[in-house]
Amino acid sequence: MNVLIIEDEKALAVELEIFLTNYNYICEVCFTGAAASEKIGVNLYDFILIDLGLPDYDGLELLKEAKKNNPEAICMILTARAEVYDRIKGLDLGADDYLPKPFSLLELQSRMQAITRRKFGLKQNLVDLGGFLINLTDRTISYYNTEINTITKKEFDLVAYLILHKNRTLTRSQLSEHIWGSIINDDYDSNYIDAHIKNIRKKLNVYAPPDWLETVRGLGYKIKINT
Amino acid sequence: MKLKTKLTLFNTISKLVIVTLFVLLLPALIRNINQNFTDSKLQKQKNKVLKIISASGIKNYLYAAYSPLKEEFYSLDEDSLDEYLDTIKNEKRKIEGDTIEYRILSYNFIVAKKNYLLEIGKSVDTIEETTTPLQNIAFEVLVGMILLTILADQVYSNYVLRPLDLIIKTKLIAHKFPNFGSYHKVKTSTSDFEYLDISIHKMIETIESAFQKEREFISNASHELMTPISILQSKIENMFERDDIVDELKTRLLEMQKILNRLKSITKTLLLISQIENEQFLKEDKISLSVLLGEVYDEISIRLQDKNISYEAYIPEEWHLVNVNKFLLFNLFFNLINNAIKYNHENGEIKVVATRENNVFMIGIIDTGIGISAQELPYIFNRFKKFRQSLQQDSFGLGLPIVKSIAAFHQIKIEVISEKGKGSTFKLILPNFLIEI
Repeated sequence: MNVLIIEDEKALAVELEIFLTNYNYICEVCFTGAAASEKIGVNLYDFILIDLGLPDYDGLELLKEAKKNNPEAICMILTARAEVYDRIKGLDLGADDYLPKPFSLLELQSRMQAITRRKFGLKQNLVDLGGFLINLTDRTISYYNTEINTITKKEFDLVAYLILHKNRTLTRSQLSEHIWGSIINDDYDSNYIDAHIKNIRKKLNVYAPPDWLETVRGLGYKIKINT
Repeated sequence: MKLKTKLTLFNTISKLVIVTLFVLLLPALIRNINQNFTDSKLQKQKNKVLKIISASGIKNYLYAAYSPLKEEFYSLDEDSLDEYLDTIKNEKRKIEGDTIEYRILSYNFIVAKKNYLLEIGKSVDTIEETTTPLQNIAFEVLVGMILLTILADQVYSNYVLRPLDLIIKTKLIAHKFPNFGSYHKVKTSTSDFEYLDISIHKMIETIESAFQKEREFISNASHELMTPISILQSKIENMFERDDIVDELKTRLLEMQKILNRLKSITKTLLLISQIENEQFLKEDKISLSVLLGEVYDEISIRLQDKNISYEAYIPEEWHLVNVNKFLLFNLFFNLINNAIKYNHENGEIKVVATRENNVFMIGIIDTGIGISAQELPYIFNRFKKFRQSLQQDSFGLGLPIVKSIAAFHQIKIEVISEKGKGSTFKLILPNFLIEI
């Protein structure tokens, strides 16, 4: 899928490009609003990531242009100006999602995937892990036709995030940010991810050992899926 | 006590003291006046008698007489004594069996080598009979005048102090710190009050602009930090995914990520507080209190489990929060309950209890934790304030400041009752307009 990254902070734009290329997106990068405006006028993209705080261009104006020339494109707003007013205005103008800086790259990718699924109405998203059938659409886990309903919402969120980023080690920080990111509190480094993983393993172990949920010593967790 | 009351009280008391003094002195005063008056009258009579005698000889006037009611008497007789006499004094005389006290003028003189003694007397009773009515009249007039002046004082001090009242009411009591609103001059012709009004206004302006600057600074600083943090975070994440980086380096990247997270948390929290203080949040949500607390519980249950803390909530199902910002209130309860966990003992207890007393709605978060000492209690809502007992916790001292900002934004009052070693109760007192039943 084609992604246009509009970000005036070169260092960030480069990292976005590296990361998304890794996930098999085809990226183009613009450091200025003017350059972006030109590209939007000429090319078609599946994703347009717009930084609202461009020095030479009103980000919201760019969003309008994008929606006009690329009506099929999924527009995501990336901004450090996380004000409510902008948030509402951004969504009203047809942005599909909004990601306040600083965000995790994993979060960006999972949002992009979620929107893609929603937009294209992809059919049931099922993952088979050693007998456990994980339905990412209905958010259920079953083991050979027996639905496991002991798994809590948070626990499912963790499993789903690990599946989304399968075969990659996710750190506790990244997992914490995903499931508690929107909560503002004064803890840092408080790690309840381990407790959650322990609970998930215990609950699944009733049916079969979930060997696919790996602990990567000293680094984090990983779900291995052979493709 | 109010200045006006004090002034009225002083006026009344000082006047009462003066009146009492005057009334006490009055009898002596009147007696004195009466006596002087009588004495001068006696002197005049004496002069008159002497004049008549020198004109027409003494013979016809040598007699003694008294008025029918014995109020006055006159006597002129040869005197046997040699000494010179010219006095006026009180003396008792016996006249026809009655002993009566007189004010008597005694004067002796020589006519044709003979000594004569003249005595003119006036009974003391007649002199003093005007005293009581005079006293009464004086007293009545005085009381009347004093009442009048007190009234006048009252009215005038009311009038002259009204601007001060107005300054206190509108400039000091009505102001909600730190939002002061606009300046309205208080009308007064008293220059002191004018000066006071302007000084207060200037001070408020200074405070306001200092606050505004602080808020703007925090808001700008935290916004500006977001992009660099974002860049660092992306770089670390991308490096972490590379296969050519050995695990030992990855562990160090992880440590960097943790530190970056800490920086991010602090920045986000400061930004949130400044956004709340700048009123950049809407208050249009309606949510059931038990549902909201349920959501908090879902997020926090793992922490309760971790310390094996029991959690009970007693929330009436029908309580709904209205005109609130759900995101902020979620964070308020999350932080309060999170603190109740953080500063609790293993196997401790937490209770969340909603109560209603008449029309006052309260939500108490009660824990059996380490408690807060009385010395520390006044400072717990200060930013970055960390206390000895909380040092082992992973916190940077912004939990309660968030709670305070969110509560203030919703006009929720917080009361904290705590005993060291026994636990703390954080009581939220909600204004009526936040609750719908």
